[in-house]
Amino acid sequence: MSPTPAWTGLVEHLHITARAFLPMHAQESIALVAGRGIEGDRYMLGIEQGFYSEKPEEGRQVTLFEVEVLEAIQRDYGVELLPEEHRRNITTRGVPLNWLVGRRFRIGPCLVEATRLSVPCRHIEEILDKQVFDPMIHRSGLNCRILEGGTVRVGDAVRPE
Amino acid sequence: MARHIALVVEQALEDGPLTRRLVLRDPDGWPLPRWKPGAHLDLMVPGIGPRAYSLCGDPAATDRWEVAVKREAASRGGSAWVHEALRPGDAVAATMPRCTFPIAAGANRHVMVAGGIGVTPFLAMARALERQGADWALHLLCRGAPPCGDVVAALGPRAQVHDTARAPRPAWSTLLGTPAPGLHAYCCGPEAMLDGFAAATTHWPKGSVTMEHFVPPPLPAAESAVSYTLRRAATGEEAVVEAGGSMLAVLRGLGAKVNASCEGGICGACEVRWVEGTPIHRDRVLSPERRKTHLMACVAQCASSHLVVEG
Repeated sequence: MSPTPAWTGLVEHLHITARAFLPMHAQESIALVAGRGIEGDRYMLGIEQGFYSEKPEEGRQVTLFEVEVLEAIQRDYGVELLPEEHRRNITTRGVPLNWLVGRRFRIGPCLVEATRLSVPCRHIEEILDKQVFDPMIHRSGLNCRILEGGTVRVGDAVRPE
Repeated sequence: MARHIALVVEQALEDGPLTRRLVLRDPDGWPLPRWKPGAHLDLMVPGIGPRAYSLCGDPAATDRWEVAVKREAASRGGSAWVHEALRPGDAVAATMPRCTFPIAAGANRHVMVAGGIGVTPFLAMARALERQGADWALHLLCRGAPPCGDVVAALGPRAQVHDTARAPRPAWSTLLGTPAPGLHAYCCGPEAMLDGFAAATTHWPKGSVTMEHFVPPPLPAAESAVSYTLRRAATGEEAVVEAGGSMLAVLRGLGAKVNASCEGGICGACEVRWVEGTPIHRDRVLSPERRKTHLMACVAQCASSHLVVEG
């Protein structure tokens, strides 16, 4: 009998965009491609239309953000930051992203490995015209590389491998 | 290109004397970022650099951005490029719109005075105010036919064109009325007009008038920041950095290959070793010990008249 995982969570929102600066678009499902990125997203290898595409990085293949941080920023700073505004691809609930650097975990059928914590960037304040840089420090999400691809849907489970 | 917004010229319309209005879209028709009425963006003029233009389209339109540009006889390159080089289908790189001339949040009456092509921010603001159901008036002063005449006419009777070639320019008091609670006055136009507007509103309550100069807002300077001469130790080249100005931009202007990412002083990408002077550290990543030898060029300023850096 396998031990009960320390945590399990859910995919709450999915977003991609085709190019740097453009608004993120909500999706019901996204297609993760192992070693490359997300179909239709600006950081998909071979497309490279992202703000940081000049600095290739495996961990930019898929990025995650906690919905709990959105709630905390509203609570602590009075700033409403929406799921389509943090500019990460997958908004999770119940997933301790900051624990997961260097670890592998499943998002629906896909297997990913977290490479580093995301850091906030002034670029996001420029795009949103909201003062969210400081509130996002140390809780700006997670960068991951995709080990096993597949289709991730809203509502999918996120769990340790 | 990823550092800028990729756009294509959908239309280039002659829209008044020496005036060209560009309709810009995403190359694949994707919605563009939202912007606030009164915002401007920089178009990256090939071989020249950024040139600022107010967005003059409808802020509610998410699929297009519009700018109107007057052909200046003494063009520094921007207006000549817009008028003589750009064609429909051409690619254009732009920065994110920034709003330094916003609609006054607390006002309930808005009087806008424009000189010639200075009408552009008001074309967006008037549409937003109309949509809000606000009380507004636009006075466009010009000699002869106005720029963007059809757009101005479509705004309705609240937008008035004053042809100063046919009738004397109305008095400021006629245009602006008398200051009153909730009344906000705006002006965008040539420097002489802005001077006149400033003089006519000196007795208005603080915060009830705003002017658009088309000068990007400076970075907030540290209290002790001064203008200084920045020198690259590697080459001996120097340049002046204004108080509160971007050391990173000036270093790059001197040919230094300085990496940068967050440009907010936390990612550490633009660390530079300094060897002489009194830098003001504004980053959040360097230790006190490290600051004795290094700085973050994206946010650092200077309290001495000279600063020498490696790189």
